[in-house]
Amino acid sequence: MSATDTLEPDVPVEAIAKKDLTEALLYLDGVTVTFDGFRALNSLSFTVDPGEMRAVIGPNGAGKTTMMDVITGKTRPDKGDVFFAGGTTDLTKLDETQIATLGIGRKFQKPTVFEMHTVIDNLRLALKGQRGALANIFRRETAAEREKIDEIFETIKLSGHRDRLGGALSHGQKQWLEIGMLLAQDPKLLLVDEPVAGMTDAETAQTAELLREINANGHSVVVVEHDMTFVRDLGVRVMCLHEGSVLAEGTLDQVSANERVIEVYLGR
Amino acid sequence: MSNALTPQPVLLGKSGLVFLAVVLGAAVLVPALNLLTSPDSALHVPTYVVSLLGKYLTYALLALSVDLIWGYVGILSLGHGAFFALGGYAMGMYLMRQIGPRGVYGDPVLPDFMVFLNWKELPWFWHGFDMFPFAALMVLLAPGILALVFGWFAFRSRVTGVYLSIITQAMTFALLLAFFRNDMGFGGNNGLTDFKDILGFNIQADGTRLVLFVLSALALALGYVLCRFLVRSHFGKVLIAIRDAETRVRFTGYRAENYKVVAFVVSAMLAGIAGALYVPQVGIINPGEFSPANSIEIIVWVAVGGRGTLVGAALGAVLVNYAKTYFTSGLLAPYWLFMLGGLFVAVTLFLPKGIVGTFYDWRRARAPAPEDLAPDDLAPPDKLPEPKPAE
Amino acid sequence: MISRGLPSRLGCVLLLALGLIAGALLLPRAAVAQGAAPDISTPLAQLTTDKYDDTEAALGALALSGSPAAAGIVAALADGRLMYSPATRQVLIKTPQGGLVDAATGQPVAEAPPGAKAVRVNNRIRRAIEAASGTLALVNPDPAKRLEAASAVMRARDEAALPALDAALAKEADAKVKSALTLARASILIGKAGVPDADRIAAIATVGEQGNQDALAVLRSVPADASPAVKAAAQDAIAGIERSLAIWSVGQNIWYGVSLGSVLLLAAIGLAITFGVMGVINMAHGEMVMLGAYVTFVVQELIRTYNPALFDLSLLIAIPVAFLFTGLIGVLIERTVIRFLYGRALETLLATWGISLILQQAIRTAFGPTNREVGAPGWMSGAFELGQLSITYGRLWIIVFAMFVFVALLATLRLTRIGLEMRAVTQNRRMAASMGIRTNWVDAMTFGLGSGIAGIAGVALSQIDNVSPNLGQSYIIDSFLVVVFGGVGNLWGTLVGAMSLGIANKMLEPYAGAVLGKIALLVIVILFIQKRPRGLFALKGRAIES
Repeated sequence: MSATDTLEPDVPVEAIAKKDLTEALLYLDGVTVTFDGFRALNSLSFTVDPGEMRAVIGPNGAGKTTMMDVITGKTRPDKGDVFFAGGTTDLTKLDETQIATLGIGRKFQKPTVFEMHTVIDNLRLALKGQRGALANIFRRETAAEREKIDEIFETIKLSGHRDRLGGALSHGQKQWLEIGMLLAQDPKLLLVDEPVAGMTDAETAQTAELLREINANGHSVVVVEHDMTFVRDLGVRVMCLHEGSVLAEGTLDQVSANERVIEVYLGR
Repeated sequence: MSNALTPQPVLLGKSGLVFLAVVLGAAVLVPALNLLTSPDSALHVPTYVVSLLGKYLTYALLALSVDLIWGYVGILSLGHGAFFALGGYAMGMYLMRQIGPRGVYGDPVLPDFMVFLNWKELPWFWHGFDMFPFAALMVLLAPGILALVFGWFAFRSRVTGVYLSIITQAMTFALLLAFFRNDMGFGGNNGLTDFKDILGFNIQADGTRLVLFVLSALALALGYVLCRFLVRSHFGKVLIAIRDAETRVRFTGYRAENYKVVAFVVSAMLAGIAGALYVPQVGIINPGEFSPANSIEIIVWVAVGGRGTLVGAALGAVLVNYAKTYFTSGLLAPYWLFMLGGLFVAVTLFLPKGIVGTFYDWRRARAPAPEDLAPDDLAPPDKLPEPKPAE
Repeated sequence: MISRGLPSRLGCVLLLALGLIAGALLLPRAAVAQGAAPDISTPLAQLTTDKYDDTEAALGALALSGSPAAAGIVAALADGRLMYSPATRQVLIKTPQGGLVDAATGQPVAEAPPGAKAVRVNNRIRRAIEAASGTLALVNPDPAKRLEAASAVMRARDEAALPALDAALAKEADAKVKSALTLARASILIGKAGVPDADRIAAIATVGEQGNQDALAVLRSVPADASPAVKAAAQDAIAGIERSLAIWSVGQNIWYGVSLGSVLLLAAIGLAITFGVMGVINMAHGEMVMLGAYVTFVVQELIRTYNPALFDLSLLIAIPVAFLFTGLIGVLIERTVIRFLYGRALETLLATWGISLILQQAIRTAFGPTNREVGAPGWMSGAFELGQLSITYGRLWIIVFAMFVFVALLATLRLTRIGLEMRAVTQNRRMAASMGIRTNWVDAMTFGLGSGIAGIAGVALSQIDNVSPNLGQSYIIDSFLVVVFGGVGNLWGTLVGAMSLGIANKMLEPYAGAVLGKIALLVIVILFIQKRPRGLFALKGRAIES
């Protein structure tokens, strides 16, 4: 984990953005998004390194979800650059499907699994592989694919629920299934939006464990979360967004000591 | 949200086998009862009934095609009658060319209505329809290409839900207006009729009618197997996923629009085949088949039988049309529209999963694992402000 | 009236000759005898010879005589009421009441002289009568009649009328009539042989200013042997008129388009409420319009039976009745069906389609399948001209009414308590409910409002469409397209959508014909929705898709 390097909590945003483009897995520079005059993102700049896990905190309306929308191609920025994989790919030119195939997976704030499919079919659909419409008419599952799915079932601990409908799972199980689906996609970068909302403490701890495990296997992860205990459990570098740009960045202790962060988000 | 049943582990589930047995059984039994019993026998099936049943079967195939995209992809097409009619017109053009010099005006090439309009030669798009293989190809291509073009534009631009329904309706309405024009060269208001024979057989002959019935039954059976195969393949799983959470599907890396276009085109072609089998059995095709009301009626067949259940769609088509024949011919005729309207309301309110969907629920409710039940179908009412796609 | 028949060429020539003679003979005398009644004894004498030639000559002289009696004599001849006595050389007019009047003196005559008979008339004389009465109308005491006569002369461009025109021009005091006479004179000069170039070019300028179809016809008649300067002037004037006519015709199409747009707006605006605000696809919306039209019919029938004097107010009475009736039906539908289907837009489509079938059949059972006659009050009929535009009062009132309904609806949503509650429920149902808003009641009222507006649209549409059970069907597709085109949930979008579709439709029609134009428009809208899936005025932002 590359979380705790030498950055001061009050280092200017520009300095972070100037990090070498070719090293970063994800590179955002000066990204601005406006909805009907409201600036959802205001010249947002940051980078994510390969293999890094990053937690993003910030008050409601700080632009966390919009940031994810921009990275995954759902929203086009008015201004700014978004590059992936060492500056090789300009994400602002691609649509959701292309970005997903490049290796960026996303878990939504509200868990969205395919409710009318069984748990195992949910994973089969997500599994990395053929995406073409005509080719999938005659597709058969290979032994390797079956093995991979079994592996994911172990990781997300849903082996006992293979043949239940996705919609019949509990809230926490759906969150895990969705993370499992992300794993099946085998992305280079996972964007996870509020994974522990509505979970019990035990589930929250398990989820933190799960994400650390995923990260340890070489996936970069960006987690948006309000739950400070969870963020602390993750033990990674933290970035606080406010009014569409980065307010502070560093370890959780550094960020939570920041005057502005306390003022706008944490409270005294 | 949907009311599809949980996929069964085999290609043809129990219901599928029952369905095929009934359809193929009818394909044998009905002609047998027509040919082998004396007209006085209580078991005798008169030829006009055979044709009537054949018409129901083509409607069932049409319903199947609508269910494929509505029940499994969530595309509510209010213009599917257009594909049915295009298939029907392609067949009708072949049948018109077969009339040859036996028309009222005796022109060896030009159909009567063209002679009547004082046309001197055949329009270019009528060429080739004297050959059955070409006409048969057109039965598939005319609806298929329209669906491809329309679907490609619509799905690529992510027109969904209500918006899509409304433009499909506009599409069939535009075609309705177009086919009413004499200048279009499809017989205008009167459409195509007075057919004489098909592949050399007299179209009025009892034998031909029996064969057409059997072909309709086979087409329905094959259409069912095809749809069943499609919706149970990986492709079909993606379709259902698109229906339930299209955005999620895109973020998973699938080109949802391509899947939709393929399903839409297959569905349009099935509707075209249904239309092509329908026309020789009823003896006429006219622009009325394009009317938006017709297309909406197909939707109610599927809703009655059970959207998202292929068997239900076919069953619904046969039941509603049987009811229509029964009620519109008797004393109750003036009340038929009350009944049809009431049926629309009652089904959406009290039987949202249709007959077959409700039956599946009931059967599953008696199964030992009640927690596997599909979740409540009702969307929370706080989603009101945005008209949503099929949920 | 006078303008209808053109005197034949022969008549023209004769009249011209007579006019010249008469002018030479009579005008100086008339000038001398100013103030006194002009002498008409010569033409009267000619009428008693019983020869067609003499009768015709007499007519020409009478026309230019300036005598107040002339018009009566010519009219009597036209009606076959002119008698003469070969014995006494007297000319007598039979009054329509049956009395007799001496044409020369204007005094009543007790008894017809023996042997008196009617002056004979043949086709040649009839033409001469028409020409004479046309000329006489130019000096009619009523300025409106004179104006009418002047424009008739202009259209006829009868060279023979020139002397009469000159005479009339000399006496004319009314500026409007005077300019019409000048125009008529210029029109004749343009085609007349032997007119000096300068006069002809001046005439072309006068006609060119007129700028309408008539002027165009006049300018096109410049003789082939005219000088190049004259021809060039005529070409310029023609080009100028054609340009301005093209602009006027665009204007006329826009007017028709605005008129159609208002109809679409009326039909769609209720849908903008039920579909745009509530997310309910109300396929029975068209039937609400249809019910409104039938309410108008019933109201008119009641008025005819009980108080025919109120007929001109029938539409004004029908508006609130239709609003309440269809609004009530709407509330009933919402309470019994729609409320169970919120959030399932496509299922509301099916259920309301069923309701539409039931309503259609109910009306068919109650009123029969045929069209019902809804009358137009006096103030709805008639037309007036605005420049080159022809504007009918019916269309004008429907546009005014549509705008009124639009503004009223906008005000209801913006300014009233119920409007505030509707918007609150639309934006956040749970929050609204927790603030004590009765969301059920608001739903019912919103649906009722949408339906009620459809009802009053029906009152207006009863004036321009057939009132039959199928009335609603013809509007439902268009209405949906308008709402979707404009952008759901935005009343201004509906306004702009309706107007653009209406105008586009009427602009396409001259090129493509009504049916192809309509098809083209459908295709355009289909393509447009693919380009902008959420319409012209789509809301933008994160909330839309989440």
